[in-house]
Amino acid sequence: MYYEYLTVGVILFIFGVLGIVLNRSNLIIMLMSIELMLLAIAFLFLINSIVIDNLIGEIFTLMVLTVAAAESAIGLAILVAYYRVRGTIAVKSLNLLRG
Amino acid sequence: MYILVLFLPLLSAIISGLFGRKIGTKGAGVLTSSCIVISALVSCCIFYETVLNSSAAYVKLWRWFDSELFTAYFGLQFDSLTAIMLIVVTSVSALVHIYSTGYMSGDPHIPRFMSYLSLFTFLMIVLVTSENYVQLFIGWEGVGLCSYLLINFWLTRIKANKAAMKAMLINRVGDIGLILAMIKILAEFGALDFSTIYSVMSLNEWGDVYSNSVGVNKDSLTIICLLLFLGAVGKSAQLGLHTWLPDAMEGPTPVSALIHAATMVTAGVFLIIRSGPLFEGSPFALTVVTILGALTAFFAATTGVVQNDLKKVIAYSTCSKVGYMVMVCGLSNYSTSLFHLMNHAFFKALLFLSAGSVIHAVSDEQDMRKMGGLLKSIPFTYTMILIGSLSLMGFPYLTGFYSKDLILELTYDKYYVAFAYWLGSFSALLTAFYSMRLIYLTFITDTNLKKEVLTKVHESTWNITLPLLLLAFGSIFVGYLGKEVVISNVIPPMISNSVKVVPLVLSLLGALLAFVIYDRVTRVTGAKGGIRNFVRVNSIRNVRSSFSEEKFEQKSPWTQLFHVVYTFFNSAWQFNYVINHFIVKNVWKFGHLVTYRIIDRGILETIGPKGISKVLISLTQTISNYQSGMVFNYALIMIIFTTFFISGASVL
Repeated sequence: MYYEYLTVGVILFIFGVLGIVLNRSNLIIMLMSIELMLLAIAFLFLINSIVIDNLIGEIFTLMVLTVAAAESAIGLAILVAYYRVRGTIAVKSLNLLRG
Repeated sequence: MYILVLFLPLLSAIISGLFGRKIGTKGAGVLTSSCIVISALVSCCIFYETVLNSSAAYVKLWRWFDSELFTAYFGLQFDSLTAIMLIVVTSVSALVHIYSTGYMSGDPHIPRFMSYLSLFTFLMIVLVTSENYVQLFIGWEGVGLCSYLLINFWLTRIKANKAAMKAMLINRVGDIGLILAMIKILAEFGALDFSTIYSVMSLNEWGDVYSNSVGVNKDSLTIICLLLFLGAVGKSAQLGLHTWLPDAMEGPTPVSALIHAATMVTAGVFLIIRSGPLFEGSPFALTVVTILGALTAFFAATTGVVQNDLKKVIAYSTCSKVGYMVMVCGLSNYSTSLFHLMNHAFFKALLFLSAGSVIHAVSDEQDMRKMGGLLKSIPFTYTMILIGSLSLMGFPYLTGFYSKDLILELTYDKYYVAFAYWLGSFSALLTAFYSMRLIYLTFITDTNLKKEVLTKVHESTWNITLPLLLLAFGSIFVGYLGKEVVISNVIPPMISNSVKVVPLVLSLLGALLAFVIYDRVTRVTGAKGGIRNFVRVNSIRNVRSSFSEEKFEQKSPWTQLFHVVYTFFNSAWQFNYVINHFIVKNVWKFGHLVTYRIIDRGILETIGPKGISKVLISLTQTISNYQSGMVFNYALIMIIFTTFFISGASVL
């Protein structure tokens, strides 16, 4: 049972990855994709904790949520600071450090 | 005493070379001359002990290098060959030292010059006294080096530089032969000292009788002999590698006397004489030696006839005489060769030093066409040069007669090399011809000197004339005195009187011919314009049309033919041209195009540093292009490789 939800989690995760990889315009979308990936991970943890009947997955999910919140706060702060300096938040223009 | 003969020249070379500034020009001259004179006296004592008392001496100095199979000593060997060579080398060298104190006076670098001369003498003594081939090689290379330094003494002259380099490099060709011969000897005999090799050679004959059980392979012996002969060819200026010798005239005249009379060119002959037992084992090599020697004698004689440079005539005559020595070595008559070497040293030194005296007298003019009429002004030098020339052409009762005629007779006796006999006889005629020509053009004919030069012609100081006088005595008496000592073991061949007088007749004929031709031509054309006379004599009246009013005259075929022949002989059979054009130029081209451009700068650099760095740089540039600065690319790469990592981990 509940196994079918695993597919949902994986598909969400892949959507998040694709959101990072394919997105070239907006930095906010990238942050949102990261949130989506973290969400998918948290979702998978929850499903697995139910499947194997173990609480550690849920504890972990709580921690992931905390980390995700902190991360998005820091990410948004960086984004704001970046925007203040550059005046744009396009991902394409983020290439000052090319090799 | 035995070591003293080596030590004194070395000492004088070192002192005069390093402390020349302290002892000054006069001090250097006196010191080096006296050292060499003492050395000459000592070598007379050595001659007395080793030859007259027939007690050969061996002095082992110290062990030089030492491996399992091969030990080389520094050792001196004084046998009769060494003693005679020592006398020749030291006495001629001593006279040259004394001579050059006078001849080189006024030159700013006399201490250096005397130092080089002494060093040359020292290394030549090392060469003749060595008891093995390795030590001989030290002297061999050393005299080559010193010849470089001496020919290049006036080092600001580009021609002297070139001539010195030529001498050094052509000698090096022969030296390679000597080195290869030494390696081969070491492989065959396991030793390099003469005594061992020659005792093995004597075993070899015994081995031949008993089905060749002991001894050396005949073929490798032939190879050894041919390689040794290659060395001798380089040093003794035999045909093929002779081109350095005439060019070596760029050095000062005493140097020419030392190099061409007593020391350097005789080293090759000395090597053949010393290696006589080896050569005896290889008839093929002996034949090669004879033929090449005869060809050299002939070639140099024909070339000497038409040279216009006073010193070059004598240089070609040296080449010719050394050809005689080599030729008679090829007939296994080593003592005759040595005898001729000894006699030749005296009269050739005399000729060179007298030529130097003439050149000194006429304000450093070397072209014979611009001389003439010096008979009244410098009668002493004339007498000296006449004695030298008569001795050179084998006039009876003079030194050259005793060895030269014997050489020709011995050659005649060996019927299978009649070729060599006729070449030798013909070159005897030519020798007489060019000697007389030299004397006539320099002394007897009407003068071509400028008046201001002619009025200043004078005999030189005592230290130039004294060596000439002593050498003249040598040129007269050495042959008679040394005959019993050196060639007592040579049995004169049984040949008829008519054959016996052939060389003499030929020589006299040549001398008379030269005299008559030049005298007649001078009388016919009158005394005006000696250059034109000379040109006419040699039938090249159209070579220098600027001298000749018959510029537009129709050339007769005879004139043209003479012109061609004259040019051919005058340019020494075009050897320089052939060697430069076909060998040197191609080697240069090869060196530049193939070894430098294709191999060094091409292949090696491409697969070497330059190619590798090129590949690495472009590789790293490609790789660093992957770091585009775009975050999504990084993310993609990270994901791909994480996927690989995870899947790889699970697979493994």
